[in-house]
Amino acid sequence: MELFERNAYELSDMLKNKEISSVELTKSVFERINSVEDKVNAYVTLNEENALKTAEQIDEKRANGESLSALAGIPIGIKDNISTKGLRTTCSSRMLENYVPPFNATVMNKLEDAGVVVTGKLNMDEFAMGSSTETSYFKPTCNPHALDRIPGGSSGGSAAAVAACEAVVSLGSDTGGSIRQPASYCGVVGLKPTYGAVSRFGLVAFASSLDQIGPIGKCVKDVAMVQSAINGRDNMDATSACREYTDLSANLKADVKGLRIGLPKEYFGEGIDNEVKTSVLNAVKELEKQGAVVKEISLPSTDYALSAYYIISSAEASSNLARFDGVRYGYRTENYDSLIDMYEKTRSEGFGDEVKRRIMLGTFVLSSGFYDAYYGKAKLLQRRISEEFNSAFKDIDVIAAPTVPTTAFKIGENIGDPLKMYATDICTVTVNIAGLPAVSVPCGNDSNKLPVGLQLIGNKFTEQALLNTAYAYEKTAGGFIMPKL
Amino acid sequence: MNIDIKHIAKLSRLRIEDDKIQEFETQMQNIVNMVEKLPDIEDELVLDEDNPMILREDVAVTDKYTRQELMSNAPQVKAGCLVVPKTVE
Amino acid sequence: MVRGYEVVIGLETHAELSTNSKIYCDCKNQFGLEVNSQVCPICMGMPGALPTLNETVVDYAIKMGHALNCNINRVCKQDRKNYFYPDLPKAYQISQAEVPLCENGYVDILVDGEERRIGITRIHIEEDAGKLLHSDKFDGCSLVDLNRCGVPLIEIVSEPDMRSSAEAKAYLETLKSILQYLDICDCKMQEGSIRCDVNVSVHKPGEPMGTRSEMKNVNSFSAAVRGIDFEVNRQIDILENGGTIDQETRRWDDVKGESVSMRSKEDAQDYRYFPEPDLLTIVVDKDRVNNLKAEIPELPNAKILRYVKEYNLPQKEATFIAESVELAKLFDDCLAKDKYPAKSYSVWLLGDLVKYLNETGKNLSDTMINADNLTELVGLIENKTISNAGGKKIFAVILKEAKDVNKLVDELGLAQVSDIGLLEKIANEVLAANEKSVNDFKNGKTNALGFLVGQCMKASKGKANPGMMKEIISKKLEEI
Repeated sequence: MELFERNAYELSDMLKNKEISSVELTKSVFERINSVEDKVNAYVTLNEENALKTAEQIDEKRANGESLSALAGIPIGIKDNISTKGLRTTCSSRMLENYVPPFNATVMNKLEDAGVVVTGKLNMDEFAMGSSTETSYFKPTCNPHALDRIPGGSSGGSAAAVAACEAVVSLGSDTGGSIRQPASYCGVVGLKPTYGAVSRFGLVAFASSLDQIGPIGKCVKDVAMVQSAINGRDNMDATSACREYTDLSANLKADVKGLRIGLPKEYFGEGIDNEVKTSVLNAVKELEKQGAVVKEISLPSTDYALSAYYIISSAEASSNLARFDGVRYGYRTENYDSLIDMYEKTRSEGFGDEVKRRIMLGTFVLSSGFYDAYYGKAKLLQRRISEEFNSAFKDIDVIAAPTVPTTAFKIGENIGDPLKMYATDICTVTVNIAGLPAVSVPCGNDSNKLPVGLQLIGNKFTEQALLNTAYAYEKTAGGFIMPKL
Repeated sequence: MNIDIKHIAKLSRLRIEDDKIQEFETQMQNIVNMVEKLPDIEDELVLDEDNPMILREDVAVTDKYTRQELMSNAPQVKAGCLVVPKTVE
Repeated sequence: MVRGYEVVIGLETHAELSTNSKIYCDCKNQFGLEVNSQVCPICMGMPGALPTLNETVVDYAIKMGHALNCNINRVCKQDRKNYFYPDLPKAYQISQAEVPLCENGYVDILVDGEERRIGITRIHIEEDAGKLLHSDKFDGCSLVDLNRCGVPLIEIVSEPDMRSSAEAKAYLETLKSILQYLDICDCKMQEGSIRCDVNVSVHKPGEPMGTRSEMKNVNSFSAAVRGIDFEVNRQIDILENGGTIDQETRRWDDVKGESVSMRSKEDAQDYRYFPEPDLLTIVVDKDRVNNLKAEIPELPNAKILRYVKEYNLPQKEATFIAESVELAKLFDDCLAKDKYPAKSYSVWLLGDLVKYLNETGKNLSDTMINADNLTELVGLIENKTISNAGGKKIFAVILKEAKDVNKLVDELGLAQVSDIGLLEKIANEVLAANEKSVNDFKNGKTNALGFLVGQCMKASKGKANPGMMKEIISKKLEEI
């Protein structure tokens, strides 16, 4: 078995026991990148030179007997909307094609302190707006399991890189499903943490009240390891939660005895592919076999969640993306004859169509005369959705549902139809609206050998229970399947 | 509901080419139609008193960054300042 | 009333708070430093940077709320006000829309001896924008300095309760002195620490309110007076000529002394306010709100009333002292000693002290005058150890030097002669030498008395106690 194929927790032990060096491991991952990247297109920017430098430093520290974290020396890929000091951060947009942040996101400071090796910056939908990574200004990323299909999005590069073993683990961000949905399509594990569990400082904002950074890995334990390294209260992010964060990976237990699992009927209705439904229900049966108690529940406002999501996320995005005006950083148009002309040309040339569409939708729903009918209503609905989850969690511990209604579609298949594209988020957006944690874990394939994901949703700050459930399933029935590349 | 794409684009400081207006208008219309299915909720949002914000202590920190670092991404810089087309005064 | 019209004025006043750091980041809050030297990714609006709210900003705003008798909304939030401009890096200003920190207050102002109550609609916290620099040398460009971005502001919105530019000025001066008393704003007008937008309308008495115009860029109190007077006359001219007033935003040009239209109601900006998602609810502890109230000192308008009522000071003098934090403190410290009448102090404060401060441009704190040495000086005059003229000499010294007042009496040879025996001796000598004047007095020329007292003072080299000297001479003249 090649080093790049291995899980982070295994590699962590091998590094600790000095069976391998971080330089060897890093080289192995870059060899893998060299051999498959032109098929997968997961990366926007590679960081090989610095990665090897970091790896050397970590090896040196280890040789000197310094105490190192579990992630020290592990190669990790970073979604390109997470600010990396000195390393270009583009959000896969022409607007930020040459933008080099002068500061690190808080998660990057934490990972640097942990001694990880950053392989590079991963492709995504432009400004995280999209469900297929096709809205990237640079290139579409391909699904490693079927190169003519999308990897999902917006963290398509993050999921594809892990699935293709071009990074041992990666960071993504999830605003409406952007970690879980590509993780599902690419057959890997992705965790969307509770809102406030991971600092957003340095994450280029799409929708501030919904965005969360989270990990993607080949297995549950890897995801737990990375999540424990990045979570925690951050004084730089007023929305980050002040509470105690325990070690998710040390406390990981494959035990679901007595766990109460709810199956919301709204997540298994019309529009959900039969093969997906079957795979998910089989996974739930497996958990039941291990001692979990399964019952049907109802979350009646689910049908409206998608609309509420598009209103809230677009409204916030229209404001968050207003700062890209060609003055302090980023793209500026060549020729202009006035300030307004400069603004309009810069923004029209710098943003792609999907971003423009969302900015305009967001501007519209906030504009004078429409606020109450759209934004105001969506916020009320957001509260109702939260209340429905709250009352559900009085009787159950974990909700099980499909992550995505179908398996990965073909590149170009939905790009012309925004509504069809938006519909792929139908099972994931409620989680962001309610600020809950959720994990997507592979649960078999459809008849096209495309991965299906089981989504497990928990109450706020129940990441441990979610990961334990996913772990229990993974150990007996699931697990990563290496794509043929 | 008719959406005035040109007005919205102007508010957003975006310029939509004439041949694209129709496409954007239709797509936006479809999204708005979907969004309009939201039910009316007769209620009001109250401020979340149970989740108060932690405030920052008033301490100034200097020399965190050099001007050069912060301005290095700027499209045009002159005399330590950002340059923009003349604003009407 | 101006030209038969009622004038209605409301003011939106922005005051920069003198905190150590900015409102949403830990950059230094200081005026006048090198361009773009007090900035960071947060106040520059870099992608991914997030705001954190400075607690002192909340405290200062609540103090102002208490001072202006407002209700404090101890649970409130912040909102984004969206618009594009190069001095606004994020393209939105973090402000407060629906729920301000303070609302429904009032402030009492004095105009021509009359007390007027002006309603305060609200006080909210927000961030300042940067500065645009213009010059013909910039080749059709403007330069942007972001140092001021994120400087904390409170916006104080008044009810449309003012009826003349004089009232507006009195209101602004009252706000300024309160800000100084609370020590939450440095009130340096030339640095733009206090700025205001003025809403003006006019209507005939008994008729409904007129359409208002909003005037921006009013950067001094005198500009506010000029701007209001200009705007009032402009509106009346239009109405008198049969025209109608447009609801519009105008810009005051103080150099040209005129306002020009910026934008009409039709192109009014759509700011698309919505709750700032990067910040949670502000929840201020009840105790904290109360403790801040307890920290509010006696405010200038209350002081004026006290000086007038308790110490019989004329209102003008009381106002003059009360509106200066330093003068009022000195005055109150002197009065606290409860030794001499208030007027024996106020004459010094309003006379020699103010004259000196005005001439030198110095502050009271630059002088050596304090409650102790001023009380000693006043005491020496009150108990007739020195004359008023001698007192002035000592005052001139202790303005500049930390010298002991009693020692100065000796050093400057200012002690008055109050020894009756000595004074009688001088009187006898002077009367003997000026027989003609004595006779004049006897013959009814009463002004001869003044001449004789003057001669005695001369003979004593100015040290004789003039009151006593006069008494002795009068007595002796009666006896002759």
